[in-house]
Amino acid sequence: MANDAGGAAAGIGASLLRREDERHLLGRGSFVPDIKLPGTMEVAFVRSPHAHARIRGIAKPAGGERRVFTAADLPRLRPIRVETQAPGAKSPPWPPLATDKVRYVGEAIAACLAPTRAEAEDLAAQITVDYEPLAAVVDAPRDMQGSRHPVHEGWSDNLFSERVFAGGDIEAAARAAEITVRREYRMNRQSGAPLEGRAVLAYRDWRLDEIVIHASTQTPHTLRVAIGEILGIDLRRLRVVAPDVGGGFGPKARLYPEEIILAALALELDQPLRWVEDRTEHLLTAAHSRDHHYQVTAYASRDGRILGIDAEIVVDAGAYGLWPQGPYQEAAMAARCLPGPYAIANYRCRALTVATNKTPMGPYRGVGRPGACFAIERTIDEVARAAGRDPVEVRMLNIVRPEQMPFTSIGGMRFDNGNYPESLRLCAELLDLPGLRSRQRRGEPDGRVIGIGFAVFAEQTAHGAAEFVARGAAIVPGFESCTARILPDGSLVLMVGIQSHGQGLETALSQIAHHELGIDPARIAVRHGDTETSAFGFGTFASRSMVMSGGAVARASRALRDKLNRIGAHLLQCDVAAVRCRDGAVRGPQGSVSIAEIAKVAHLRMDGLPPGVDPLLEAVATYEPAVGTGVFSYATHGAVVAVDPETGFVELLDFAVAEDCGTMINPMLVEGQIRGGVVQGIGTALYEEIPYDEAGQPLAGTLADYLMPGAAEMPAIKIGHLHTPAAATEYGMKGMGEGGAVGPPAAIANAVRDALSALGAEVNETPITPRRVLAAIEQARFRVGGPTG
Amino acid sequence: MKAAAFDYVRPRNVAAAVDLLAADKGQAQLLAGGQSLLPLLNLRLASPARLIDISRLPELAMTDEDDATVTLGAGVTHAMIEDRRVPDPSQGLMPHVALGLAYRAVRNRGTLGGSLALADPAAEWPAVLAALEAEIGVVGPNGRRRLSGTNFATGIYATRLAEDEIVTALRIPKLSRAARWGYAKLARKAGAFADALAVAVADPRRGYGRVVLGAANGPPLVMTEAGRALAGTRRDPEQLRRAVETDLDSAADRRFDAYQRRLHRAAAMRAIVQVIQ
Amino acid sequence: MTAIRVIVNGAEVIDNVAPRTSLGDWLREGRNLTGTHLACEHGVCGACTVLVDGEPIRACLMLAAAGEGSEVRTIEGFDADPLMMALRDAFHRRHALQCGFCTSGMLITAWDLIRRGKASSAAEIRRGLAGNICRCTGYTNIVAAIAEAATAAEGVGDGE
Repeated sequence: MANDAGGAAAGIGASLLRREDERHLLGRGSFVPDIKLPGTMEVAFVRSPHAHARIRGIAKPAGGERRVFTAADLPRLRPIRVETQAPGAKSPPWPPLATDKVRYVGEAIAACLAPTRAEAEDLAAQITVDYEPLAAVVDAPRDMQGSRHPVHEGWSDNLFSERVFAGGDIEAAARAAEITVRREYRMNRQSGAPLEGRAVLAYRDWRLDEIVIHASTQTPHTLRVAIGEILGIDLRRLRVVAPDVGGGFGPKARLYPEEIILAALALELDQPLRWVEDRTEHLLTAAHSRDHHYQVTAYASRDGRILGIDAEIVVDAGAYGLWPQGPYQEAAMAARCLPGPYAIANYRCRALTVATNKTPMGPYRGVGRPGACFAIERTIDEVARAAGRDPVEVRMLNIVRPEQMPFTSIGGMRFDNGNYPESLRLCAELLDLPGLRSRQRRGEPDGRVIGIGFAVFAEQTAHGAAEFVARGAAIVPGFESCTARILPDGSLVLMVGIQSHGQGLETALSQIAHHELGIDPARIAVRHGDTETSAFGFGTFASRSMVMSGGAVARASRALRDKLNRIGAHLLQCDVAAVRCRDGAVRGPQGSVSIAEIAKVAHLRMDGLPPGVDPLLEAVATYEPAVGTGVFSYATHGAVVAVDPETGFVELLDFAVAEDCGTMINPMLVEGQIRGGVVQGIGTALYEEIPYDEAGQPLAGTLADYLMPGAAEMPAIKIGHLHTPAAATEYGMKGMGEGGAVGPPAAIANAVRDALSALGAEVNETPITPRRVLAAIEQARFRVGGPTG
Repeated sequence: MKAAAFDYVRPRNVAAAVDLLAADKGQAQLLAGGQSLLPLLNLRLASPARLIDISRLPELAMTDEDDATVTLGAGVTHAMIEDRRVPDPSQGLMPHVALGLAYRAVRNRGTLGGSLALADPAAEWPAVLAALEAEIGVVGPNGRRRLSGTNFATGIYATRLAEDEIVTALRIPKLSRAARWGYAKLARKAGAFADALAVAVADPRRGYGRVVLGAANGPPLVMTEAGRALAGTRRDPEQLRRAVETDLDSAADRRFDAYQRRLHRAAAMRAIVQVIQ
Repeated sequence: MTAIRVIVNGAEVIDNVAPRTSLGDWLREGRNLTGTHLACEHGVCGACTVLVDGEPIRACLMLAAAGEGSEVRTIEGFDADPLMMALRDAFHRRHALQCGFCTSGMLITAWDLIRRGKASSAAEIRRGLAGNICRCTGYTNIVAAIAEAATAAEGVGDGE
């Protein structure tokens, strides 16, 4: 049973201010590039300027032979290879340094070492690579069945994988349909673009006989596993530390060639090595994301009830699969999420993951879901239009109702609980939908047109073993761990396998320990991101850390509490059943003994221990939620836009989120995650894109080309909460880190569509740039017939 | 993302800078505020052998004013204009433009002269100074000369400035109190480079009308017909709209696509409407 | 190498720098002032904002050599500054930072906005932050924190 000590001020449900803030506010954070070791050599990479080419030779400059390392110089480097049990999936090897061929612009070919980064770049510029350029595969839908030079040798096509997801009888739905809506959607390629890029510092520690790797990563433990395997050394000889990490958002939850190469160099050379990714490298070589193409056909009854969805999803996954999960999860996740939070009986979806000569695709906040949400939510709006009804009404008609819970969608998602229609209603209320509709009828004085759009989605979070096994995953991140240690003075250290990089987990996890033990959060340290201090854990991604690591903290704290109670009862000379641990002390019928006193006994005065009780106050616990298929947060996002039909510029006037993530440990942190996610979703919707030309050259290499959302263009984001605790997790928590980024593209596209409804124009591609808006208006002008498909 | 190596010199005065520039023909580059040059250096898109730092030469920071003109040294920063720390010849147009130019931290170092000399097609000052008919003072080994601000830029990153010349000052005719101006910058983000940019100025007391487009696939585009229509006494929006179309038609060499043309038309009309309303 | 004499956070520093070294790299690598963060190195993101002679500038877009004779103030040089203390307090209470990578530049930009009286409304603050990218917070709380600190500093302004 949870302890009620501490009250709401610092425990569960309190908006406790963050313990992480002080160091950052003072400029004393410690990010990888801030760590200084004497004699560090800086690394710059020679990277491919070609999307697809054979390497015929590499010439090092005279005198630079011992400072330039190619694949041939580092025989220890074995290729990255994703093991997958997913049916029909191909998994090509990826040499960390290119050997005979390069497959995307930016692929690493040689590492160059010098005392400063500038000199390392000078050296890199002197290396001559003899390339034989090949035609690049750049258009996934066009080239997926094959091309003159497939991305990978021995492949007859360019498919990483192809799967069909189906349920019900789609042909019957087609026959019964009174409304048929067909649309194509495109969510273009983008970067995760955390403000801090990737960074690696690697060195040999002779005393401990290990290689220490400081990396800006979300997943230190699994990084160690991968590097040990690829370099063929014992994990006891590898330590991975993720210190302060300047944002992750998914791209840093993968193994990268640079991390392996720096570790390999640290084994070869007796000096520290550092590589700090610059912004151009980040935009070119850190995992890209999105890049989904959809063809969706919706069958519906005359009143807008959806009878079936028939779809094809093509994901342009780039050249290789990133370890550990490979390129497969985007398409699969999108296919399973495409039916949305709706009770749809018939479904068919072909999901294809295509290899192209582009940067490898990886996770980014939302993984697959922003695209799926965009496709289904745009489609719902078009069904509503065809039915002559308001999109909110048609959503209400189709959405899963509370009494249907738990509900397994036709996409195979098991929604655990919640009131989805209520989130839609609340979101419309937050935006004052009736007021907006009348404003819309009145018209704007400046000639612009306003529109309102919604998107509803459910977000699978904290999925455990069952989910990852079903995906055929190489590793199954089904649990998290916590080592909880009370020190001799009664202060507490929580050592966890996750990595906090802005989420505030140092604060939130201390709240859980405080809730269980009553120890003042100021006396609790949370250590994370270091393979040396914590038991194994998978890291921070997939909206899992609060549920999984929080669960592990709860269990470890309770184990400590049991021991505290036993020792405390002994010291109080009463029965253990008569004591309770509360407010930092064990309290009995007569008197109490503080945790500090018990800790002293457990370490320094073992003569005070009850018979049969070992010294030390330390517990290791793991946690996996009772349901392995995830607990589902859900939300409705609503956007209000003003579109200038003359220029195509879209201004976001208002944005609201009505969401339910179960029990909130720290509402302030929850709202921070929502707002941050929403603005990233707005970036997807309106600004961010890495286009490629026909030769496979990426066209956004700086932040002058790659536009990130700025304060001036963002509205203040409104939030409303619903509270449906999960049954399967500690305290009823649900994960919620990604949801913010899922809804905005769909909500904003629907708002733009709503604004342009009089013109009959719709934009079905992100980002919704002025150019695309004007093109849509032009296209609508030339189109004959009505707005339905 | 670090610059390639270069030498760095800081001459004591403009004459010394001219000598250095002449001595190093083609190899040296002037460094003023560096807000456009440093990104190019960091990205290694430019790699001069030597930088001649003229950012703190007192001669370039001078300002002067008489009844008809304001002279601003080439080293005057955008922030000085924004804050009106230097005289404003433009009845508020220049401070208004400065406020929307990049970001304050950039405006604190970026200079008027640097912006003109670089002639980035999307930059604000070349278009604004063309609309104000500024004169550009330059100095080189053969002495000083004055160039028209209207056609100073000749192309993308190309100007009438010789390789060994330095922009020293801008002489800008004052607008009268009766003058009106309009300015429209269409950019996807605050501080970002413009997708379209138009400046319109009318000074009835001088019979003066100018409409200039920036971000126009080349140097600032002076819209002759629109300017003439704006200078007149009877200014009819429909007639101005036709004039803008005519000017866009005659700019076939700019190869505007449909989107660009539409944006330029919108920017021009918005600037014009601010003038005539 | 170029000899420079610079006042950094109130103390005189004499050093020799390679001409190509940016002020940002020099502060971080040469002076170990790692609170100045480099995130784009081409002037867009604002993470490296520091004060030179009292005005905010991009440390990635200024050569250390060009700093000769200047006074430079980094985030580490504000520890006793009352306005910065008010800003830090407001950022903390309003949850205006997450990963912390943009924070130094945000604080210095905010400090300058308030000092110049350019933080009188949410809209004005938002325009003033256009050159500082935050990837984590969505800005709402940053704007609120700055509005609060501005109100405390001047007794005017309204939040969001």
